[in-house]
Amino acid sequence: MKVFALLTVIITGVMLVYGAEDFPKWGDPYQPGSVHVSPRYTQGTYTEAGTPNIVTSVVADYRGYDTMGETTVIFTAGMACILMLRKKKRGEGESNV
Amino acid sequence: MTYEHFAVLIVIVPLMSAFVVALLGWFKRWACYPLTLAALFVSFICSLGILNTVISKGTIHYHLGGWEPPWGIEYVVDYLNGFMLVMLSFIALVVAIYSKKSIEQEIPERLVPYYSIFLLLVTGLIGITVTGDLFNVFVFLEIASLAAYALIAVGEDGAPMAAFNYVIMGTIGACFYYLGIGYVYIVTGSLNMADLSQILPNLYHNKAVLVGFALFTVGIAVKMGLFPLHVWLPDSYTYAPSVTSAVIAPMFTKVMAYLMVRIFFTLFNPHFSIDLIPITQILTWVAAGGIIAGSILAIAQTDLKRMLAYSSIANIGYIVLGIGLANRMGLTGSLLHILNHAFMKGTLFLVAGGIMYKMGMRDITQFRGLHKKMPFTMAAFTIAALSMIGIPPTGGFFSKFYLVLGAIDARQWAFIVVLLTSSLLNAVYFFRIIENAYLEPPVTAYATDGGTHEEIKRDELPLSMLIPTLILAAGVVLLGIFNERIIAFIIRFAVPASF
Amino acid sequence: MFEYIVSKYNYWVYIFLMMLGLYGMIGKKNLVKKLIGMNIFQVAIILFYISIGSKVGASIPILTAEDLHGMADPVKYMNPLPHVLMLTAIVVGIATTGVALGIIIMVYNRYKTLAEDEILEIRKKSGV
Repeated sequence: MKVFALLTVIITGVMLVYGAEDFPKWGDPYQPGSVHVSPRYTQGTYTEAGTPNIVTSVVADYRGYDTMGETTVIFTAGMACILMLRKKKRGEGESNV
Repeated sequence: MTYEHFAVLIVIVPLMSAFVVALLGWFKRWACYPLTLAALFVSFICSLGILNTVISKGTIHYHLGGWEPPWGIEYVVDYLNGFMLVMLSFIALVVAIYSKKSIEQEIPERLVPYYSIFLLLVTGLIGITVTGDLFNVFVFLEIASLAAYALIAVGEDGAPMAAFNYVIMGTIGACFYYLGIGYVYIVTGSLNMADLSQILPNLYHNKAVLVGFALFTVGIAVKMGLFPLHVWLPDSYTYAPSVTSAVIAPMFTKVMAYLMVRIFFTLFNPHFSIDLIPITQILTWVAAGGIIAGSILAIAQTDLKRMLAYSSIANIGYIVLGIGLANRMGLTGSLLHILNHAFMKGTLFLVAGGIMYKMGMRDITQFRGLHKKMPFTMAAFTIAALSMIGIPPTGGFFSKFYLVLGAIDARQWAFIVVLLTSSLLNAVYFFRIIENAYLEPPVTAYATDGGTHEEIKRDELPLSMLIPTLILAAGVVLLGIFNERIIAFIIRFAVPASF
Repeated sequence: MFEYIVSKYNYWVYIFLMMLGLYGMIGKKNLVKKLIGMNIFQVAIILFYISIGSKVGASIPILTAEDLHGMADPVKYMNPLPHVLMLTAIVVGIATTGVALGIIIMVYNRYKTLAEDEILEIRKKSGV
């Protein structure tokens, strides 16, 4: 099992490193990830969204639906723990398996 | 009546109902079940409205929050999602009708959280299907996955260990998908599917895009149960409660197959997926391995649900084989098989749950004479089994027919042999059950009033469990009879136009 | 060659961390160690994404007073989108860890051990 795990890890690592060859340099201000969509967030954040904090305006306004999904994830985890672990107090006591 | 908000109501209504069920159930336990049914019924009506709008007016684009893409999130519904939404909401509604008596027998003290998480699972799956933004898929995928982990873990004796294995493998799959988004984002800068399909064709020789594509494929394959990454599937489906298996087996893996079709043919060009990287060739061989392995392993099982789980692995192989053949006939067969298999597996798992409800065991060798005790249930089982083997006029025959036509079109004769052999193997293990139930003389243990051992009292399932089973079985037959209309009106437009 | 390694060394470090986490998830036998591996894997992916968004000489993504109205130069501020995605990812990681720990509690209550090979032995003996 350990050999299989090591093999998987090495193959995945080599594949990821191979893919990183074409990445832009670290910290490049003009990399494609930063010039396509993000300038509008930076420029419109006070006029369109009302706050100078850019991350807040993206999280709560431009991509607010993802935040609602994230809140639902927390709720799901909470309900999952209630489902799995809650013990009802019965007369003779009960295990929670 | 404004139809334009149906695309978002189909996700929001089950989501809000999950919160309401959790709250209301605290006070009044009996209120969970009607509320769940009402929410899923509204969802089903919305999906019908969406499909109607897509057929009459074309693709729906819904901008959430009013921000236009790619700066905001958008919901895109075209023919490919449209029929999947109808299928998902219908099966969820039918299983929810079935669920009450079964849950009350198996895990009665966990009724309220169970229904809440059930609704969240349906929300997550519908949310994956209806969205047009890559990161939104990840968020709803995690909602559905967490709900599935919890629903599986409350089953019988081996369930927590099966659920933990599923947690580990499912997280690997989701994290690979998520890393793939990162690799694609770093060289393009956008997360919207339509936008990426415009930007990516210039970047097809970029190594980061290639590795991102590979990461997407492996991540989705792990969550889909594609051989050889299927090791979490048999245990999870076997030890889960009956309602959980009945709702996860028809729905979860099909949504992952839909996501694979989306990424291969909408996000990346078909030219990329077929010619530039021979991913479709590799997928066909992997899928053929899965079909044969799943069918052979299913024959060796005596537990009914375990056998159905291995059969699911084989059927995922069919769907991926159709995707891999990458021509019009193959993809039509694959999409039709998604529809058919959801109904067939739904029926089979509902029957397995019913047998568990009445008899408390699932061992095949003890099924003798069952048709006298539960005639309608076994009739539904027989219809679904005939469809799985592929006998006309049930639906399974037509989807396999299109897959064979696709294999002929692609000149791959080996896959025709694989498809026909697997149909024979299916026949072996399904006929074994049908023979045990119909033809073998009954065992004395089932005589209930002390008479001779030929007299067996009819002890059919309660109506709230019987009617959903029969509805799904009727659906299997209807899908077979009307398959040509479905293909001509819907599936023909769901296949990408360049095929 | 040396320049190539140095100019992107953040990616190599994060990929190494990811592989550590992946090895822990697959190769270790104790359930809690698998969970720790899962956590390392997810945190490494989060760090990887954040490093995508950084720019040389840029400040944090909060607008200063003179840039409030009108055209702020995006070069002066870091890319906000990976930060946003990672907020969601951190929350999802916590939720998954919580559910996995709940399942581990259920496993422990049933089998009284957390080593995978012992659990397999117990299951074989009891016929599950």
